[in-house]
Amino acid sequence: MYGWHGKLLRINLTSREISAEEIAPQVSKDFIGGRGVAIRYLYDEVDPAVDPLSPENNLIFATGPLTATTAPTGNRYMVVTKSPLTGALAHSNAGGSFPTWMKRTGFDLFIFEGRAEEPVYLWVNEDEAEIRSAAHLWGQDVPATTDALLAETDRNAKVACIGPAGENLVLMAAIMNDKDRAAGRSGVGAVMGSKNLKGVVVNGRKNPEFADDEAMRELSKTIAKEVGVDMLAGSSLREYGTAYVPQVTNEFGILPTHNWQAGTFEGVDTIDGPTLTEKYLIKPKPCYRCPIACGRLSEVPEGKYAGKGEGPEYETISAFGSGCGVDDLAAVTKANYWCNELGMDTISTGMTIAAAMEMYEKGYIPEADIGKPLRFGDADTMIEMVQKMAYRDGFGDELAEGSYRLAEKYGHPEVAVTTRKQEFPGYDPRGAQGMGLLYATSNKGASHMEGDVVYEELFGVPVKEDLMTTEGKGELVARFQDAFALIDSSGLCVFLALRYVFSKERMILPTRLAQLMQFTTGVEATPEEVLKSAERVYNLERMFLLKAGSTEDTLPKRMLEEPLPDGPAKGHVNRLHEMLPDFYKVRGWDENGVPTREKLAELGLE
Amino acid sequence: MKIQVKLIATYRDHLPPGTSGNTTSVDVRPGSSVRDVLAPFGIPLDGSTVIALNGVTVPLETTVSEGDRVAAFSAIGGG
Repeated sequence: MYGWHGKLLRINLTSREISAEEIAPQVSKDFIGGRGVAIRYLYDEVDPAVDPLSPENNLIFATGPLTATTAPTGNRYMVVTKSPLTGALAHSNAGGSFPTWMKRTGFDLFIFEGRAEEPVYLWVNEDEAEIRSAAHLWGQDVPATTDALLAETDRNAKVACIGPAGENLVLMAAIMNDKDRAAGRSGVGAVMGSKNLKGVVVNGRKNPEFADDEAMRELSKTIAKEVGVDMLAGSSLREYGTAYVPQVTNEFGILPTHNWQAGTFEGVDTIDGPTLTEKYLIKPKPCYRCPIACGRLSEVPEGKYAGKGEGPEYETISAFGSGCGVDDLAAVTKANYWCNELGMDTISTGMTIAAAMEMYEKGYIPEADIGKPLRFGDADTMIEMVQKMAYRDGFGDELAEGSYRLAEKYGHPEVAVTTRKQEFPGYDPRGAQGMGLLYATSNKGASHMEGDVVYEELFGVPVKEDLMTTEGKGELVARFQDAFALIDSSGLCVFLALRYVFSKERMILPTRLAQLMQFTTGVEATPEEVLKSAERVYNLERMFLLKAGSTEDTLPKRMLEEPLPDGPAKGHVNRLHEMLPDFYKVRGWDENGVPTREKLAELGLE
Repeated sequence: MKIQVKLIATYRDHLPPGTSGNTTSVDVRPGSSVRDVLAPFGIPLDGSTVIALNGVTVPLETTVSEGDRVAAFSAIGGG
C-alpha cells in the first residue's frame, strides 16, 4: 500500500488493551484520510448523543495520505471527537513535527477509547505500543511534560500532550504538540483529560512509500512554483506571520474589538505584524519541512511580560488584543505563552475574557464574583484570568465554561458571540457576509478553519466577491467548506489551499490534490471524484451533528440585530436569512439543513 | 488635494524612508485615480494587489477625493 499505511492503532484505556487493525481500502478511498476517515470511525463507533467527557466518547488522532510526504505543507494531523464545548463534532488540527512522526510509526490513526483509572501516557515506537503511568506528570505544564516524556522515552521522539487546562476539563483546553503547536479548538484537550491521558509520544522510521516517486517530485516542484510567491523570503507570511492581518481586517472594519462591540481598533498599529517583527521576533519557525514558515519564535526580553515561546498569530491578537481592548503586544504575547504552556485555545480563551469584560463594565457581573475590576484594556487582569481559567481557580471556574455558558448564567446571553457555543474567530460577519453563513452552518461551531471565505470576499480573486453582498455566498461557502474538508483529510495545511484561492482556475486545487494523492497512493481519482469525497466527508459530519442534537443554523443576536457602529461596515448587520436557503439548495439539503435522501444516496451515505 | 496612503505588510517597504508606522499622505491633482496616488511609491502592482478606498475594495482607476484613505497590500490569506 502506498501513501496510507492502511492500519490504525486502537487503544482502550479502560482495559489497557492495544490492538492494530486494518483500515479497509474502500474507506480510505471514499473518505481520503485524516479528518474524513476519522469522522467515518467516529460516526460508526460513538453515539452522537454521548456525554463528550464520558468514557463512551472516542478521541481520534488522524493523519492523511499526504502527511509525512514531500508534498508542500504535508505535515498535519487532525484530532476528531465529540466536543464538550459545543456538544457537536470537533475537528481540530495542528502542524509542528508530531504529525509526521506519528505517521512514521506505521499507523494512520490512533483511536482512544474508555478512560484510564490513573493518569497515563501512550508511547508508540513503531510496532511497540505501551501504556505507561503519567501519575508523576499530572499537574505539570506543557513544556515540562514534553521534556519529561522525551527524557523517559527517546530524545528523537515527538510529543502531544495536555496541560493543566485539559486535566481540569476546561472547555477550551487544547492538545499541544511540539510544545507550542495546538489542536486548539472545541475543547479536545478536555476530552483527553477526561480519559486521564496526559500525553502521546511517537517515533518511527516508517515513511509511507510513493506510488510514483518521480511524478511526485516533479509535481511538488510545480506546486512550490505555483504558490511560490508566499514561500519566498520577504513574503508577508514569512516576514510577519499571520500577524499582518489585523491591519487588513481593521481597514475593512471587521476586526473584533471590545467583544464585538466595534469593528476597528485604534491600537491596531501597536499589535500588528511589523511591531512583532521589530520588537519580539527571534525568527520565523516553520512546521517540519514547510516552505511557508508562518510560525513565530518570539521573545519578550524584559519587563513584567517577559517570556519566550511561539506566537502570537492573528487569531490570538484579535482575541487578546482588539477583542479585550489591549494595545500592548507584549501583554498579548504573554497571554499567548500562558495559553501554550497551560494548554488552552487562544481564541475561545481571549474571547471569553472579552465577553466577561463587557459584562463587568455593564454591571452584569458583580465585582465580588470576579474579585477585582475586569475592564477592557486591563492587560494584567486579562493575563491573570488566563491562569485562573486553566486551574478553574475562583472566577476562572466560570470563565473555563466559555462565553456562552458564562453569559447565560449571568442572564445576558446576547453578550456571547458564538455559534454552537463556540467563540467566533477574528472576522466580524457584519462586514463580511459570507463569514456569517460559514459560522452559522459550520458543523463544529464558529471557525475560520471550516472554510475561510473571507479571503475570497476581501480580495475578490478570481471572482469579485463583494464583502457586503449576500448573492452567491451559498455557493462560495459550500465550495470552501468542501475545499477545507479535502485539505484536512489529505494531511496538508489550509495555507496551501488558500494560495490557490487566488488562482483564476477554479478547479486547480482539486486537480492538484487529486494528482498529489494519485502519485502518493496509486489510487486514480479525477478532481471531480476528489471533490465528491470531500462533500461526502462534510455530509457525514453534518449527520453526526444532527444526531448530536445541534440542529439550528443561526448567529447570535448581536450579529443579526445590532449594526456595527464604526468603520466601513458601519450600519450593517449580517443578513443570514438571505443566504441560508440558497446554501441549503446548493448543498442538496432540505429547508432545515438536513441532507436529503437523494443527496445521501448520491454520496453513498444511506 | 491630500490623500492618506496606508501600505500594509510587505508594501510598507515602499514608504518613504523615515516614515513612522504604515501611513503617509500625498498631494495629488483633482481627478486623480488610485493608480496616480500609488504611482510615486513604485509598488509592483499586479494581480495580487488589493486596493481599498476608505475600506472598500476598488479598481485602480477609481477617482479619489480630498481626504480619502487608500490602503494597499498583496492578496494573501491566512488567519
